[in-house]
Amino acid sequence: MKKYLCLILALIPLLSLSGCAGLSIFSNYRQLENIELVRAVSLDLSDGGVNAAIYGTAGEESPARMYENPGPSVGVALGELILTPLGREAILSHTESVLIGQDLAKTGLRECLDYVERFSETRLDTDILIVRDGSARDLLAGLSGDETSSADVLSGLGKNISRLGEGYFFTCREIASSLAENGCALIQCVRGVKEEKLFDARGELDLESAGFAVARDGVVTDFLSDEETLGAMLLLGKYRSGNLDLPLGDQTVTVSMDLVGTDIAPRFDRDGALTALDITFDFRANVINLSGPVEITDSSVRRTCEEELTKIMTGAATAAVEKSRALGTDFLDLEGAVERRAPIKFRDMGADWQDVFLTLPVRIKGTSVLARTYDIADPPELSGKEDKSPWEKLTELLKDS
Amino acid sequence: MIRKKQPAPPDMSSDGAVTVAAVEAVFDGCYDFESRDLRIGGDQAQTARLCFIDGLVSGSDVAEQVIKPLTDPRRFSGNISAADVIAMLLGGSVYVYTAKSRDKLGELTGDLLNGFCALIFDKERTAVTFEVKSQQRRSVEAPKEEKVIKGAKDAFVETMKINTTLVRRKVRNAHLKIKEFNLGMRADTAATLIYIDGFTNEGIVAEAARRLSGIKTEGVLTSAVIEENIVDNYRSPFPQVISTERSDKFCMNLLEGRVGILVDGLPLGFLVPGTFSQFMKVPEDHSGHFIVASALTLLRYLAVFLTLLAPAFYVAVAMYHQEMIPTRLMQSMIEARSSVPFPTAVEVILMLLAFELLQEAGIRLPSPIGETVSIIGALIVGQSAVEASVVSPVVVVVIALAGIAGYTMPNQDMGSALRLCRFLMVLAAIALGMFGVATASAILVYHLAGLESYGVPYMSPFAGSEGRHLSRALFRRSMTVKRDREPELKTGDGGEAKL
Repeated sequence: MKKYLCLILALIPLLSLSGCAGLSIFSNYRQLENIELVRAVSLDLSDGGVNAAIYGTAGEESPARMYENPGPSVGVALGELILTPLGREAILSHTESVLIGQDLAKTGLRECLDYVERFSETRLDTDILIVRDGSARDLLAGLSGDETSSADVLSGLGKNISRLGEGYFFTCREIASSLAENGCALIQCVRGVKEEKLFDARGELDLESAGFAVARDGVVTDFLSDEETLGAMLLLGKYRSGNLDLPLGDQTVTVSMDLVGTDIAPRFDRDGALTALDITFDFRANVINLSGPVEITDSSVRRTCEEELTKIMTGAATAAVEKSRALGTDFLDLEGAVERRAPIKFRDMGADWQDVFLTLPVRIKGTSVLARTYDIADPPELSGKEDKSPWEKLTELLKDS
Repeated sequence: MIRKKQPAPPDMSSDGAVTVAAVEAVFDGCYDFESRDLRIGGDQAQTARLCFIDGLVSGSDVAEQVIKPLTDPRRFSGNISAADVIAMLLGGSVYVYTAKSRDKLGELTGDLLNGFCALIFDKERTAVTFEVKSQQRRSVEAPKEEKVIKGAKDAFVETMKINTTLVRRKVRNAHLKIKEFNLGMRADTAATLIYIDGFTNEGIVAEAARRLSGIKTEGVLTSAVIEENIVDNYRSPFPQVISTERSDKFCMNLLEGRVGILVDGLPLGFLVPGTFSQFMKVPEDHSGHFIVASALTLLRYLAVFLTLLAPAFYVAVAMYHQEMIPTRLMQSMIEARSSVPFPTAVEVILMLLAFELLQEAGIRLPSPIGETVSIIGALIVGQSAVEASVVSPVVVVVIALAGIAGYTMPNQDMGSALRLCRFLMVLAAIALGMFGVATASAILVYHLAGLESYGVPYMSPFAGSEGRHLSRALFRRSMTVKRDREPELKTGDGGEAKL
């Protein structure tokens, strides 16, 4: 009897603390076959509110369907879509991307982010993207084809642009925390483009990266150019790999970035005032293509390439810093970098970061190394011997010896 | 009219005098009871009644070792008294290695039922019993239920004497004590308590002896009679007594400081105290390489979680927590579920029941048919159920995974307990989702942590020993390393193996 009493006493706090006392768990009860799995959501500005569209599927082999609904707010528009016209219950827990139209982003992102953050089903690691030059709904519809789902295309682009160093899909968590800490954040932009179809089952539109958008106080205020986007990625540590074309006279040397090291070092004077910010980059790249005859193994050519690489990359970083200053928003989170590097000095600095940041001398330097040249333009061991079999080569070799 | 005087009925109580009439009255109606008069040394004057139970004794041994020397006039010549004959018999005049003098009826009948023959001297009210047990018994074979891959292949048999011999041969130690008990009020069954004196914890020995002697039953014909009577908590479905048919496992545990029990008529040895970690071990762990053995032990612990929680976890996730399922898997699960007419709960319960039915059918049927039914049945039923859209393929995979994981349990009783708990877990998941699984798991842990076996916490070393000896339960150290015994057993050598 004593045991059962202990058990009941243990269950009471379990039930009350877990929030299951009111049997709220049963609100989660669903049968799998009645679920419409939502993988992508689009939100656009409409007359007097928001137009929400969800891109759902009811299984692997079922066709993907799009449902849209206008409403006065994101919550209402999406809330009314939960019960789809087919009687299935849409669940947003597997939403990978939320596409927000440029117009809506310019009027305010806060409501969209709030919804993703607060709704019990949506996840914080959902990618938030801004659609430029068109509506998010049209892009979502245009991406899907007979055998391609728009969610897969979006996911594929995310991996591609990250690998090629053209952009980075920021998640809701990253954007929201950046807005909360800095008052500003960067958001990846995408654009739908009409290109020749590589295969028939593909959708009408293709997707490309359109740089970063700068959001300040929950509103998108500006967009970064490709160079500024590259610089921002470098300074935020999001650039890990990518291809770059280095001009070398009339020719072009294409390199693949292998390693990027970034060091942001604040300089303080004896009074503890921040005097400068030294940003140093270390680049290591490999040559992957030469547009014409280039003596890439020559040390002077190699050095020229390395200097060109440093120039492009440091130029991009400088452009990003200048843009940040011009907009008056520290979207590169240099404040955080200084604080992490010298927390005590930063605390005792006294001055407001916003004032310091606008006038602070920022010295950007870089060193580059071409690790592998792959002298593919003129492979000496193969020239003129393609028509001979390995056996013939061996016989010749033996005769020579 | 002269009334014929009726003879007084013989005293048939256990303390009654040993007379031919009393013995024959006790065994009246027993067709296998045999008795005949024997002339000692061929002398007409000195007779005794030879009694035995046919089948329990060896006829040739009785004739050759008892009757032949008794009727030999060279041994018992002249005019010797019955008292002298008794003294000569106890002194070794017959070729039997055990001879006992009995003057109480209870002792005599006990001997007769244990394969002795008795020579009753009616006037002296005394009998001399000789052990001439029949050799008709099952020979020692390889264990059938506990497979041996690399180890001794001599399993226990139904004859206790053979079993004690097997133990003696493996533990050649004068301190190995074998105490005899008689169990059962009607079917008198012999049982022995085996331990190493001065090494095994005295408290455990005394407690085991107390519980064994306290068993009140008609007879010990099944293992449950012993197990349920000597455990601390007989209501718990989890086994608290290690039962094994392997003599090497039995001896290994004796050397660890456990107390063994052997019962005549049961081809099993029982060991106490039984702890959870002991049920996860097999003797092969000590035969293979220690790294492999450790990995296999860890695998068995993983199997416990799988067999217990896999179906419940599936039910909870599929019914309440769909957000936990990866997108691709979710899509295929939705696709598979779309043609199934039953809700997830019914689907899982149906499959679990089908699995149990197949298993039960496999056990009850004769060996070759049983195995065929289990394998073919599982394949055909699973495949057909999926094709007929009665269940989804994921459920078949989950239930099969849980079932197979359950089969890795070294102890069948532990496997059965986990199977039972698996059902309860599924019911909890159906009712409350993951919260139900968590609550049911908490209750299970509470129950297990509260169990004790002869003063040793059942979940030790996971509970009750501050986790200091956790590695001992999960891993096997190399035999070259000085090993610690289970400290909870409090052995006489302080728990340190002297190698």
